[in-house]
Formats: sequence, structure tokens, C-alpha cells
Amino acid sequence: MSTHLDHDQQHRTNESVALAPQHLGPAAQGASSLTATDVSCWFGSRQVLERCSLSMEPGKVTALIGPSGCGKSTFLRTLNRMHEVVPGAKIAGTVELDGQDIYGEDLGVTEVRMAIGMVFQKPNPFPSMSIRDNVLAGLKLSGKSAGDKDTVVEESLRRAGLWNEVKDRLHDGGMSLSGGQQQRLCIARSLAVHPRVLLMDEPCSALDPISTRVVEETVIELAHQITIVIVTHNMQQAQRVSSQCAFFLVEEQKQPGRIVEAGDTATLFTNPKDQRTLDYVTGRFG
Amino acid sequence: MAVGDAVAVAARNVDPMSAISPQVPIRPSDRPSRGDRIFRGFTVGAAMLALVTVVVAILFLANEARPALSSTGLKNFFTSTIWNGFIGQFGILGVMVGTMIIATIAMIVAVPAALSMALFINEYAPRKVGRLLTSVVDLLAALPSLIFGMWGRDAFQQKLVPVARWLSDHLYAIPFFRLSAEDVVLVRSSFVVGVIVGIMVIPIITSISRDVMAQAPRDVCEAALGLGGTRWGMIRTVILPFGRSGIIGGILLAFGRALGETIAVALIIQLTFDINWHVLEAGGSSVAGLIAVRFGEATPLERSGLIAAGFALLVLTFTVNLIARRIVKRGQIK
Ligand SMILES: Nc1ncnc2c1ncn2[C@@H]1O[C@H](COP(=O)(O)OP(=O)(O)OP(=O)(O)O)[C@@H](O)[C@H]1O
Ligand SMILES: [Mg+2]
Repeated sequence: MSTHLDHDQQHRTNESVALAPQHLGPAAQGASSLTATDVSCWFGSRQVLERCSLSMEPGKVTALIGPSGCGKSTFLRTLNRMHEVVPGAKIAGTVELDGQDIYGEDLGVTEVRMAIGMVFQKPNPFPSMSIRDNVLAGLKLSGKSAGDKDTVVEESLRRAGLWNEVKDRLHDGGMSLSGGQQQRLCIARSLAVHPRVLLMDEPCSALDPISTRVVEETVIELAHQITIVIVTHNMQQAQRVSSQCAFFLVEEQKQPGRIVEAGDTATLFTNPKDQRTLDYVTGRFG
Repeated sequence: MAVGDAVAVAARNVDPMSAISPQVPIRPSDRPSRGDRIFRGFTVGAAMLALVTVVVAILFLANEARPALSSTGLKNFFTSTIWNGFIGQFGILGVMVGTMIIATIAMIVAVPAALSMALFINEYAPRKVGRLLTSVVDLLAALPSLIFGMWGRDAFQQKLVPVARWLSDHLYAIPFFRLSAEDVVLVRSSFVVGVIVGIMVIPIITSISRDVMAQAPRDVCEAALGLGGTRWGMIRTVILPFGRSGIIGGILLAFGRALGETIAVALIIQLTFDINWHVLEAGGSSVAGLIAVRFGEATPLERSGLIAAGFALLVLTFTVNLIARRIVKRGQIK
């Protein structure tokens, strides 16, 4: 299994370079950095995030932690312009991919989302498509050429830890899978387009420990080439996979969420600056 | 308690062979409550009523159609284009083909327009504009076809003459658009009627397909956008497949309506019994239009012929529905 992954890894590195959009600048060669500055978010007139600044460094895994409803998903969605898909949603602040403003004139919204992939909190495979077509859907949607499709399908499914379960039923509908399998299918679908940054919103919340481990291994491995931002409620997971960490919190009811503390994961978990962070990571919250 | 124990003990003493005898699967039954039973009775009654109405109507039509059919002969009925009430000749071939021509033109006009409108309202228009358009469409659906017929005859049909002229000049490659002579009349044609009936049924398709497509799961739509898909990409990969059977249902309903449209056809068309493939030229027919034009002054025998034609239309509509339902089923994913 692990030799397989290593082999795939090699293969993928070459391909991801080939597939990276040329005009996005030289940084496409290595991993990309993603920098959010003073990001605030609104749903209608209700503000849910206030001046969140976070620098997600190239080739590292950044974990977003914090209690439910504090705006982790919302923040994550501003990073690839998915926040604006919700009617009435507004945003202030800037987000830069390798120094280029993703909300600026130079980049189209589809380009941004192609470069910055996303795995959603709820599994959302395309119900009208087979498992195989689901994996290939991103390539078709973005008009990229896939190279050898079978290779892309197998490699992506392997990375998502789903290959062995579905290799004999690739033509079954995507909805015929269990919830956890669907989530891994969605992970495979995001990986198939070789994004430069991958945003993952609680990707393991519906997974059993074994699949969780496979996904975590994939995350750690991928981090050599791409930048990953992962939302998780699992403190152990945050420590296992991430090197940086940001703690979100709504201080008072009806107030917008803020980043209380961000930095090195090890420091944040063992020696945080803020008392509230310590309370949260040690489970003494509330 | 004691009884239960006894059963348990007894169960342990049974012959081990019988324990692995094949099980009989049953469906657990439920004794419905009184309210449930009464409600069930009502629904069964309503369903039966619908069924009985259809059967009675069919029997009535069949019975009334008999004199005409026996006078003209079944083969002649379907293959001839001669319609003469005095000699008892009722050939409906031309009328049936005319019906299909009009309904087809109507669909060619209505389907793209209605689907674009539905998608515009759902996906592109600002909310207020969308809401306004929705109510306009609903209003349009409520307009009686007589209004469309009069508007078509007195105002709109003249506007279509240049369009017909253009089609005959530029789409000459399509045989239907060729003219048989230079100076033919370009009003009162299947084309004009088809376009007007098409406009009439746009609201049906729009409102049904809009409703269905609005139900497409938002999170799956987001998946398409999140992968770098455009809005059109999202529509193609998520919304259209999701709404497919509903959209086809709406189109079918509209097609049935177009096949059976009466007043608008009767007001505009110049009735002929021959098959007129020159759809841009004056002269065409439809079963419903024919019935509307002739029924009032028909002799009893011709009346019977008209009913026979109506019966044939019923069968046609039914067949179209059946075929379409097959198509819908075939495309479904397991
Ligand atoms: N579509 C929406 N419309 C209006 N308000 C929303 C919407 N989505 C989220 N919110 C609000 O924004 C706030 C932040 O939500 P968000 O989903 O980002 O939280 P979260 O940190 O991801 O929580 P969880 O850990 O439960 O996923 C919440 O108070 C929520 O009520
Ligand atoms: Mg969330």
C-alpha cells in the first residue's frame, strides 16, 4: 500500500506541474502561499466574521479549530470565493494567492476555484453520475484534459482511500455509496484536478478510524506539494496533520467570530498565549 | 411472564433440524386506525372515479364513432385525406399529420424559450426580477386561448410574414421551408398557428421546469462551482440532470396541450384535408381545429366522423405519453 502511494506520488508531481495554469505566475512550480488579511464576512446584515488575518504557508497544513458556529467554514469558503455563492453574503478584506488578490480583476472566479480546491463539510457527490464520472467531473467542468482517465481515477481514489472498496463498481451511481464513502469520493474528486491549494472542511467527520488514517496520510503527503487548510473538531487530528493552527471563537452571543490565536501547532497546543485557547484545546471549554 | 418462560423453554426443546428450516418472509401488517381507513376509502374512491370517467368517455367515443368508421372503413379512415360528410368519407391522415406538424412547430418554439426563461429566473436574474417574471409567466398561463387566437389572427400573424419569408429565403435547405410558388400566401399557415400555440404553452413548460430545477440540491450545485465550473457548467452537470424527468413531464403536458389546442387553430388556420408539407403556406389542419370548425353544422354522420377523429387524437396523445415515459425511464441512473 505504502509503496503504491509513493509511486503515485512521483507520478503526480510531474503531472501537477504540467497542469498548473501558466499565467498564474512562477510560484505554480512549488507550493502556493495563501494570505488572508482583515477578512470580515456577512450573511445579509449579520456579521459572522470580524477582521480575520491568517497566513497559510506554502507546503504546510494549516488547521482551523474552534467551537461550532464560530465561522470556520465561512472563513474557509472565503479562501476560494465560495462564500459569495450564498445569496446576500458579503465580504471585506483581501485574500492573496502567491501575492495575487483572488478577489481582484486579474483572476476569474473559476480560475481561483480551479487553483484552490475544496472538500465540503457535507458529502456532495453528483447524484446523476457514476463513481468514475464523479472523479472525472472536475476535469470536465474546468475543461482540462485528463491525460489517461483510468490512471487519474485510480490514483485519485487511492489517495482518498476508497480505491479498494469501489474498484469493481466504478460504474455504479455515486449515491450508491455510504456517507463516509461519499465523502472520500468527494476528496478524490478534488484531488483529480490537482489544485495548488486544498481546503478541507471536516473531511473526516463521517469516517471510520481506518479511512480517517488514510485521509490523514494523504493530507500529510500532499502537503509536500500543495498547501492545505483543514477544519477539524478533532484535536488529535489537528496535532497529527497540521504544522500551523488557528483558533476561532465567538466571544459573546451575536458577536462575529474572530481568530483568537494562530501560530505553530505545537505551541498552540502546549503553550498558548491566550487562556481561552488553552481551555479549548484541553477540553475545559464552556 | 410465566407463559413467556414456558414458550422460551419449549422453543429450546424443539428439534434442531427445524431451527434451520427455510424462513418464510412476510410483510409486517398493520391495523390502520378508523381515521386512516376512512381517508383511505376517500382516496380509493377518487382514484376509481378518475378511472371510471376515462373508461366511460372512451366507451362513449368508441360507440359514437362507429357509424362513421363503418361507412368509411377503418383502413380508409387512417390512410385517406378525403373528408366528405355527404358521401360518408372520413379520411383523417392529413388532419393527423397536420396536428403533429402544428404541435411540433409549437414545441420547437416553446421548449428552448421556456427552458431559457426558467434558467434565467432561477440562476441568473436578480431575485426581484425573477419574482416579477414568475408572476408574469403565471399570468400568461391563465390567459384563455381565445385571446391568443384573436391576437394571433388580427395582429401577430402579419408580423410573422417577414419571418416566414426569411425562413424560406435562408433555410431553403430544409424542405419544409420551401415555397411551392412565388406568390403564395404566408398567413393562415401551420407555421403561424404553431408559433402562436408555442407561445401559448411556454408558461406551462416554464413554470413546471422552473419549479423542478429550483429543487436541485444547493450543496451539489456548490460542488460543481467549487471544482471551477462555470454557472453553465453547474446547470449542465447538476441542474438539468436533476430536473430531467420533471422537465420532460412539463414538455409532455405542453405537447398534449398543443395537440389538442382548438380555438386558436380554428380561428387562424385555413382548413385543408390534404397533407400540406409547406408549413409556411396558407392551409393546414388539426383534429381539434377541424372539430371546432365543423361540429356545429355537421350532419349526424359527419358528427360521428368528427368524434372518430377525436378518438384517434386521444390514442395519439396516449401513445406519445407512453413513448416519452419510456424515454424518461431509460435515462434514469440506478
Ligand atoms: N447560509 C447561511 N446563511 C446565514 N447564516 C449562516 C449561513 N451559514 C452560516 N451562517 C452563520 O454563520 C455563522 C458561522 O457559521 P459556520 O458554518 O462558518 O460555522 P462553523 O465554525 O463552520 O461551525 P461548525 O463547526 O458547526 O461547522 C453561524 O452563526 C451560522 O449561523
Ligand atoms: Mg463548519
